[in-house]
Amino acid sequence: MENRLLINLIPGDTFLHRLTGKTKVRTFIILLVYIIMSFDIRLIMPLFILSIIGLVSLRPNWKKVKYFIIVITVVNLLNIVLFWLADPDIGSYWCGGGNTVLVSLTERLFLSAETLWYLSVRFIKMITSFMVSLVFILSITPSEMAAGLYSIKVPYKICTIFSIAFRYIPDIARDYNNIKVSLQTRGVELDPKKASLKSRLKQNALILVPLIITSFERVGNISNAMDLRGYGRGKTRTYYSEHEELKADKVFKAIYIILLLFCAYWIITQNIMPQDFRMWYPFV
Amino acid sequence: MSTPIVEFKNFGFRYKTQTSPTLHDINLTIHRGEKVLILGPSGSGKSTLANCINGLNPFSYDGVITGSCKVAGMETKNASIFALSKVVGTVLQDSDAQFVGLSVGEDIAFALENQGIPRKEMLPMVDQAARIVGMEDFLLHVPYDLSGGQKQKVALAGVMHGDVELLIFDEPLASLDPRMGMTAVELIDRIHRVQNKTILIIEHRLEDVLHRHVDRIVLMNEGRIVYDGEPDRLLASDLLTRHGIREPLYIMAMKYAGCELEPGQKLSDIHELDLSPFEEKLKKQHLAKVDKYVPKIGEEILKVENVTFAYGKDPVLKDVSFTIKRGEKVAFVGKNGAGKSTMAKLICGIERPREGRIMLNGADYTSLSIKEIAEKVGYVMQNPNQMLVKDMIKDEVELAMLLRGRSRKEIDEAVKKALKMCGLWPMRNWPVSAVSYGQKKRVTIASILVLQPDIIILDEPTAGQDFRHYTEIMEFLDELNREYGITIVFITHDMHLAIQYTDRAVVFAEGEVVADDSVYKVLSDDQVINRANLKQTSLYTLAMRLGIEPEAYIEHFINYERMVRDHGKPAAD
Amino acid sequence: MNKVLKTLLGVWNTKTVVAIAIGAALFGVLMNFGGIPIYTNTRLTTAMIVPVIVGSMFGPVPAFIACFVGNTIADLIGGWGYWFDWSIGNGVLGFIIGLLPLYGAKINEGIFKPLHAVIYAITCVVGNAFAFGVITPLLTVAFYGGELTITFLQAFAGGIANTAVLVIIGIPILYALARRNARGRNLVMEEEKEE
Repeated sequence: MENRLLINLIPGDTFLHRLTGKTKVRTFIILLVYIIMSFDIRLIMPLFILSIIGLVSLRPNWKKVKYFIIVITVVNLLNIVLFWLADPDIGSYWCGGGNTVLVSLTERLFLSAETLWYLSVRFIKMITSFMVSLVFILSITPSEMAAGLYSIKVPYKICTIFSIAFRYIPDIARDYNNIKVSLQTRGVELDPKKASLKSRLKQNALILVPLIITSFERVGNISNAMDLRGYGRGKTRTYYSEHEELKADKVFKAIYIILLLFCAYWIITQNIMPQDFRMWYPFV
Repeated sequence: MSTPIVEFKNFGFRYKTQTSPTLHDINLTIHRGEKVLILGPSGSGKSTLANCINGLNPFSYDGVITGSCKVAGMETKNASIFALSKVVGTVLQDSDAQFVGLSVGEDIAFALENQGIPRKEMLPMVDQAARIVGMEDFLLHVPYDLSGGQKQKVALAGVMHGDVELLIFDEPLASLDPRMGMTAVELIDRIHRVQNKTILIIEHRLEDVLHRHVDRIVLMNEGRIVYDGEPDRLLASDLLTRHGIREPLYIMAMKYAGCELEPGQKLSDIHELDLSPFEEKLKKQHLAKVDKYVPKIGEEILKVENVTFAYGKDPVLKDVSFTIKRGEKVAFVGKNGAGKSTMAKLICGIERPREGRIMLNGADYTSLSIKEIAEKVGYVMQNPNQMLVKDMIKDEVELAMLLRGRSRKEIDEAVKKALKMCGLWPMRNWPVSAVSYGQKKRVTIASILVLQPDIIILDEPTAGQDFRHYTEIMEFLDELNREYGITIVFITHDMHLAIQYTDRAVVFAEGEVVADDSVYKVLSDDQVINRANLKQTSLYTLAMRLGIEPEAYIEHFINYERMVRDHGKPAAD
Repeated sequence: MNKVLKTLLGVWNTKTVVAIAIGAALFGVLMNFGGIPIYTNTRLTTAMIVPVIVGSMFGPVPAFIACFVGNTIADLIGGWGYWFDWSIGNGVLGFIIGLLPLYGAKINEGIFKPLHAVIYAITCVVGNAFAFGVITPLLTVAFYGGELTITFLQAFAGGIANTAVLVIIGIPILYALARRNARGRNLVMEEEKEE
């Protein structure tokens, strides 16, 4: 199971990997805000390109990453198509009322340049959101994530939840497989080809009782082991995985602070007090 | 040496959830620098006692304390678990649960993180602790790549920081293979001597702990201390058997031979023990006539032919061949990752061979589904809670039949038979949760037997069980084999189990079968023992010292032991 | 009122922290293994049982966190991107269906009566309607902009699937778990049942 995890448990050694958890978490959150606030290709495109560079620089296991990229692209394309089906004229609302029909299938189903533009921007926005998440996940370890969250004043008990959850996912996944196998030998059918959706659900539910019981069985032992090592004794804690800030961290700090200010400016002027709700459309 | 670090005075403890106390009248003093073994069967209160020292009782498990317990001068009633953790380090039994970090370094650092120690100071401390247990080269390893023994070392390093004076090991041998267990005992001994720590070991495996010297043994039963003194005197007495602790094999052999054991004979050390007074009796005993045990073995029902298997690129099993005949009891032994569990999965059809073939009752099983194979080979998992899905015992047992769409009449018959075989018929309407661990194990076995398989494979059937429960489970399985002719395969690293309850051992090492022979032959072969992480039994050492051929000696002992088990001890001569 | 707040928040000792973490991990595992995809962002999954269990043991706020963290982790390991709107929606749903102790259902003490099942079923419907009918669509529109109908449609599909799983599978499981815990408490041998 740990091989299936996208996230690395042991830090890698590229430039992005070497940043502190604090830098990674803060940058990621600000970038998410940046993506969410903007519906402007001029803002999104640079980030999209940067995220590709970031991804390449991490030297990831392409085999694993490829699968995710394909899935996410397909899902989002499907989503876009659905958007288009729901309202082919959606672009004219966002792009200043124009309606330049490119292809017309029926009276209702047509593709206008504006809608194409709108949908493309939306698609790139979604993909960028995914890419930034991907770069973030590949660059960080769960412990760094815990440390990073702690650095933005998340209570450490909640940060612990993140790291402990990651720690025990492979164990629980192994239990899941064991239970599944033992039920299969007793005659439970989980193969989609051989069992209907309803019976699969029912059989999936059979796994749940033993899985829930064995998963929560370990809670007592884990919390004892933590109590015995003084967990929860202090109001603060430190992190072994969080190394001292290096020069790169300081550079990133400057960047994300500027970005944060920019976001604040943008949100106030464009989202809260918009002069014009329309998106940037170069072909008006 | 003389200053006490732990002092119990008229101490008692009752858990809030229970009506009667778990510990009564405990008076016990442990001095600085001592190494003490706390021995006792499950439920004797030995773990409760340890948890009263480290503060888990009553911090984590609420309860009422009577009398007094002082640890390093602190009255535990008033001390916090945090204050106690500065003096007492505890290594728990469950090596997975206590590994809370995502890497070795992080886990060792966990206590330091909680104290808020800056990372700069933390690094050398982690390094030092890792060095003491020999894990300094593994700081960046994830828990999933470590063996049970390595995880235990990490746990030990994690509680050794600072001024910890007392180390408590709660059942340190429970999940280790024989060799790792030996290494663990040696490591504990080294920490005791080199780091000058006071050591408290909670165990019921006396023989394994005695691999290294202990100063004192405290024997507990039903919440009371029944013995507190030097090991030799305890071994000479009959207290061990009376309180459900397995005697070391060489002590058993000496007692069978009618040797009169006295304290002061260095009984706790098989190498140092003076054998001269016993030599004659032991040699005579070896010549005693025993019924040679002949298992009732029928035709070949399982044949594994040149099987090779891999999950990814590296083969987990390489060209494995063996056969199993009807009515046999076979042990798959070898260290974790040697391929024995994978072999079991292949036999059950959960995985299929890359190369080679597996024959059930003379026919290649390739065309059979997992479900169909399960009607010939049943697989019983280690943890019964992972198998139990229903609330009622009867519902649990009939599930496999129900899922196969059998008729009500057929189901009822099969369920009745399986329940009767397992002695569960009177309890058929009981909820699963109301029965003991051993009975749960029986329920899982019944739920497999209901399909009337020829072979059942049991994964570590006795893991975590004390001698009494262990014996109960094994006697039951023996009976299934004897009375109903069920072929049984054990996956185990417990060599006692293999010696006493199986006819044959298939030994796995690095994906290959390195031995396939009777257990006494396997255990007399140094090369096999080394490759498979097994450990010589004390019988081997005893035989060597007596100048008897070990193979013959172990075989004789097994046969004699089996005879005693079945018919009681013959009249002493 | 204070007592209600306490029930909502739960007691935050180490056990609670670990149980929430295990809950989140279980959520992640079930989401990745036990899910049957039905729509782009929506899968028919048994993972939503987890907040119910955590809620029954520790209260709704721990349920919210287990669900939110679990969903985040599932997104991170599943690699289908990171969707705040859904995570928060799921979290809110976790909170509502995790209200069990508030109406007296205590699974780990073996208490789960038919009345509890009815209230539970109602919270499932209401919870889903609120989480996916209000919270998620609003967040989706706020975060990513776009068509409300589509978002509603998607949320509707997710909500229906969730409700179905929570009610059809959830109630029997809650009964089963409660029964296991109830009998496990007082291990008195029930001689009269022996025949």
